[in-house]
Amino acid sequence: MDELTLLRAMNGIHEEDVVMAGKLYFNENTVRKTSKRIFTLALAAALLLALGAAAYAVWSVHISRQQDLRSDLKIEENNASSYMEYDVTQQEKAGSAASLVLLSAVNDGTEQRIYVDVSPVAKENIARFPADVRFAWSIAGTEIGGFAGPQLPVSLSLSGDEAIRNAVLDYAYDEETETLTLQCYADVKFIEKAMSDLGTDSVPLQVHMIVGENDSHTFGPVPFKLTDEQTRSFDFGPAQYHDKELNKTIEIVGLELTPFSAVWKVSYEGAASFHTPEADQAAYEPWSMLEDKVCIETKLIFSDGSEFSTGGALTTPYENGTVNQFCGWGSAINIDDVQRIELGDLVLWELKAADEEMPRQAQDQQQ
Amino acid sequence: MEDREIVDLYWQRSDRAIAETEQKYGRYCRTIAMNICGSNEDAEECVNDTWFRAWNRMPSERPTVLSAFLGCITRNLAINTIKAKNRIKRGRGEASLALEELSECIPDGRSPEKVLEEKELEKLIGRFTADLKETDRTIFVLRYWYLVPVADIAEKLHCSQGKVKSSLFRTRKKLREALQKEGLYWTN
Repeated sequence: MDELTLLRAMNGIHEEDVVMAGKLYFNENTVRKTSKRIFTLALAAALLLALGAAAYAVWSVHISRQQDLRSDLKIEENNASSYMEYDVTQQEKAGSAASLVLLSAVNDGTEQRIYVDVSPVAKENIARFPADVRFAWSIAGTEIGGFAGPQLPVSLSLSGDEAIRNAVLDYAYDEETETLTLQCYADVKFIEKAMSDLGTDSVPLQVHMIVGENDSHTFGPVPFKLTDEQTRSFDFGPAQYHDKELNKTIEIVGLELTPFSAVWKVSYEGAASFHTPEADQAAYEPWSMLEDKVCIETKLIFSDGSEFSTGGALTTPYENGTVNQFCGWGSAINIDDVQRIELGDLVLWELKAADEEMPRQAQDQQQ
Repeated sequence: MEDREIVDLYWQRSDRAIAETEQKYGRYCRTIAMNICGSNEDAEECVNDTWFRAWNRMPSERPTVLSAFLGCITRNLAINTIKAKNRIKRGRGEASLALEELSECIPDGRSPEKVLEEKELEKLIGRFTADLKETDRTIFVLRYWYLVPVADIAEKLHCSQGKVKSSLFRTRKKLREALQKEGLYWTN
């Protein structure tokens, strides 16, 4: 066997894996999703009795979407107290959101995720998504805004525009009321800037549907306030992790954990210089591998014995003397239930009885 | 036009089949060919040959995923091209770099080489790749199926080149172990 044979044998990579990677490279759209929606029929029936049928149709969609989100994001299962749900009936009564209804929001420390329903969205526009129809959010009166997209359950991979459209129709769109559920991805810093620019605590959030090149529809605005974050911080001392293979030692300074994200703080010699555009990539490579190792191979162990890895970092800026590796995931984890944190043989933190529970190098500073 | 409709055109032996394929997958196949050959002229030839091969293989075949079907033809043609022109290790394309990297995956050893049919090796690679974590898999496929430069992968994934390189390093190491387990060694 030689390397050319091996290169040719890559033809054995499964078609769907080739397509998924190709979609990413050739800039087409991919979306992830998982479990099925759950409708609570009992609640729907009770509401039907209490309300007129027409009003019920709209409200039940909002309420049903809230239930889907709670279930899919594992909010109750994992005590995600930073998840905030809005009263959709109050919004209807206030008449402030005929076309934009806030469903829920969660602040994961760096990103504020906002779930909304917009209507009316014609089915023909869903048929043109994602190629010719895009969604965005903005703060009225400012130039601040960002990306929004149909809210699909987490962890299921979809490939191709048609599959995405079908999933949107199945999970995010209600044909009868022409209501579409979206997630707005807002950097907390952007919202704070808008608050500062406008001099108010709440900001006027609006959502846009851009059809083709120029046709834009705006939903809202509705007042929106940043929601509280739920963070648990771990200070590891710092702990020294030595990798025998790479013969390098990295300091694991701390971990900031939210139900949906983590920031691993690490430090090592020359870290600042490696996180600049002029960095020597060859020299950085072993350190990059060590950075990855911390994010990917460290296990958070829960009381039932299950383990969780935060996965690879999405961004790794050098700030305030440490490399801050930001990781994110779809459904909540129970950050209060973490019993032990370990990387290989190195125990970074472990929950023990009373005052003796703190490990040699780390202490828990739960907020 | 949907893939199914394009495939129908091939099955109907319609003249429009190739024009529609070129329109939808021209850039896709050209990029694959260019990544491997590193030459516009060779890449263009590979793409034209791809349409010709696709025309000959349909209607007897009915591809389920047209992009993968066409991409695979282009990829094989491009590898054949650089091999035929003896540019495999000194080409301007990514192939020479990718091959150098892949050589790390093949275990050294003196025991008798296990002769493995290329199809079996392909199956092994397919299973190996499917078992990788999603990000590592995407990076591996982009690098060794599409032969995308590391810098481009990093840009697409919004991460540093170091991250991509370290992922590839890890995956190659795992692949080496997987091949070793199968008893596969160098033959030259």
